[in-house]
Amino acid sequence: MEIDIQLTAAPFPWRCPPPSGASHGAWVEFRGIVRGEEKGAPIAALDYEAYVPMAEREMRRIIEEIAQRQPCLAVHVIHRIGTVLAGEPAVYVGIAGRHRMEAFAFLDEFMVRLKQDVPIWKQRALTSAQLRKAKLGRTEGGAPTGRRSRPATTRGVPKAAPPAAAAEVLALLRQLCRPLKPERVPLADALGRVLRKTARAPEDQPAFDRSSVDGYAVRLVDSTSAFRIVDEIRAGDWKPRALRQGQAVRIATGAAAPSEDLRVVMKEDAEVRGDTLTLLRREAHRNLRFRGEDARLGQELIAAGTVLQPGSLALLASLGCAEPLVTRLPRVLHLATGNELVSPDQKPGRGQIRDSNSTLVRAFLAPRGIAPLQRRVTEDQASVKAELDRARLEFDLLLISGGASVGDHDFTRGLLEEAGFAIHVSKTTARPGKPLIVARRGRTLAFGLPGNPLAHYVCLNLFVSTALDAWAGRPDPGLFHTGTLAADLTGADPARETFWPAEWRLEQGQVALTPLPWRSSGDLTSLAKANALIRVAPGTKGLARGCQIEFARAERIA
Amino acid sequence: MKILFFGPLKEITGCGEISLRCPGVDTDTSGVWQLLLQAYPGLASSRRVVRLARNAVYVGPQARFQDHDEVALIPPVSGG
Repeated sequence: MEIDIQLTAAPFPWRCPPPSGASHGAWVEFRGIVRGEEKGAPIAALDYEAYVPMAEREMRRIIEEIAQRQPCLAVHVIHRIGTVLAGEPAVYVGIAGRHRMEAFAFLDEFMVRLKQDVPIWKQRALTSAQLRKAKLGRTEGGAPTGRRSRPATTRGVPKAAPPAAAAEVLALLRQLCRPLKPERVPLADALGRVLRKTARAPEDQPAFDRSSVDGYAVRLVDSTSAFRIVDEIRAGDWKPRALRQGQAVRIATGAAAPSEDLRVVMKEDAEVRGDTLTLLRREAHRNLRFRGEDARLGQELIAAGTVLQPGSLALLASLGCAEPLVTRLPRVLHLATGNELVSPDQKPGRGQIRDSNSTLVRAFLAPRGIAPLQRRVTEDQASVKAELDRARLEFDLLLISGGASVGDHDFTRGLLEEAGFAIHVSKTTARPGKPLIVARRGRTLAFGLPGNPLAHYVCLNLFVSTALDAWAGRPDPGLFHTGTLAADLTGADPARETFWPAEWRLEQGQVALTPLPWRSSGDLTSLAKANALIRVAPGTKGLARGCQIEFARAERIA
Repeated sequence: MKILFFGPLKEITGCGEISLRCPGVDTDTSGVWQLLLQAYPGLASSRRVVRLARNAVYVGPQARFQDHDEVALIPPVSGG
């Protein structure tokens, strides 16, 4: 039976050719047309959505199942997805059978099952006005570029979007951040980068049979007890020769064997006088490392997507890959806003504080090899706007640390909108970090980070690190691990999902997490030990010692 | 686990795809729902009519799910 299934966004022709074949007695076709009205009201189009891989699979399964009871010769199915205008066919089914009754029955049953089980949905009906608007939206297309005239919000994202759950923000970031372009860098600069092209063995490893001991090569099958030594091979020599019965060659560890079908007698198992070799012992072991024993020519050695570590870098060096293809690093601009900030080497005046977020951001990015451009700016529109204009094209990531002053969130948001950024997230339900902003303009992704250091720490390690991972092209291993709570955790806000600062360590082979003292997001002292965040689900006030919890590891050195 | 939402469920969650961490090695249907309802309590009313698919195949209540699975929530379909 011939089966052909297509899901397509393009209109398909009214005439579909029947399959060729001598035994077809019937070719039955059906087209399902979008009606021009729904529930009495005129409509211009329907939007269809499908879970494409499953829809195809499910249709095939249904066809094969019906065919067991109701044989037929060929089935062609086309289903439209996306917008289908009224009067156009949304679905086409053609059945070839030996006789018409079989084909009609097949068609009927297939349509019934399609409407029951195949994951395709009519999303919504569009009026002609909506259709015009949708078409307009499509032709504008692409990523929003910097438009100053109107404060941009992404199409479809309402201005007062409800707070997003942490999982939603993470999913959004993975969607927004596609892997950055790859580049070639010398091995010395490739540590921690993501390999983009799978490294394969350029030849067999080892490339020739080599001795694994110092000794004497003799034929594999040779019952002689006294051999004549006819040559000597050192590591680096290349001296192919065939050995005859009774001949031996002195060979060093790592040296290339002179031919195949040999074995190497360890020098401890032999006695040598002049050029005569007498075997003291016969061992079964051949004492050779064979060609291709470690890897075969073309064998995958380091998969694309691997984060390069010292070991994998050494392997690349041995393969002769001196400039591996890796993801380029994102360019990062960090603005710390706030009138109350002074640098760490200054003594703050009354009401002022030292800027710790700039140090946190720089140190957070350092293990990834990213050095951000950092600016401390006062909270006035003009100076921040000047910096934002710099970020127009040069930067992939813009981090804005809000000042601790009242209204910093609205200030950052207003600035980003003014500069043409589309706001995707303006609040999360997660604690700390509620006033998080995620925005985008062209290629630049922006985060508005709440000003206090602990919220900063959490947002960097959850959200910014997810964006960086997605950009790097790391496979998504999931942010959270499972561990055991080493002390009671109390005082969580049951109304919100909380990411609690913690210290994780290995205790008798188990991951143990100690929650750190934390009263408000302004607390700094828990940062002294924090290296993890415990996820406390909403509805939870506290967690007892010994229970299994989810945690995310914080960015760290080594 | 990658979780996919379709049709009216997307309106409830506001997105088409999220990823959830499977607690432990694997979990069952009610475990998946528990995670989902934690993140989106609004899905509760749809649970009765939604079928689950694992890696693009419908699964029954006995199914188990692992972290590398793609899980789709399939609300009543309306193709054709």
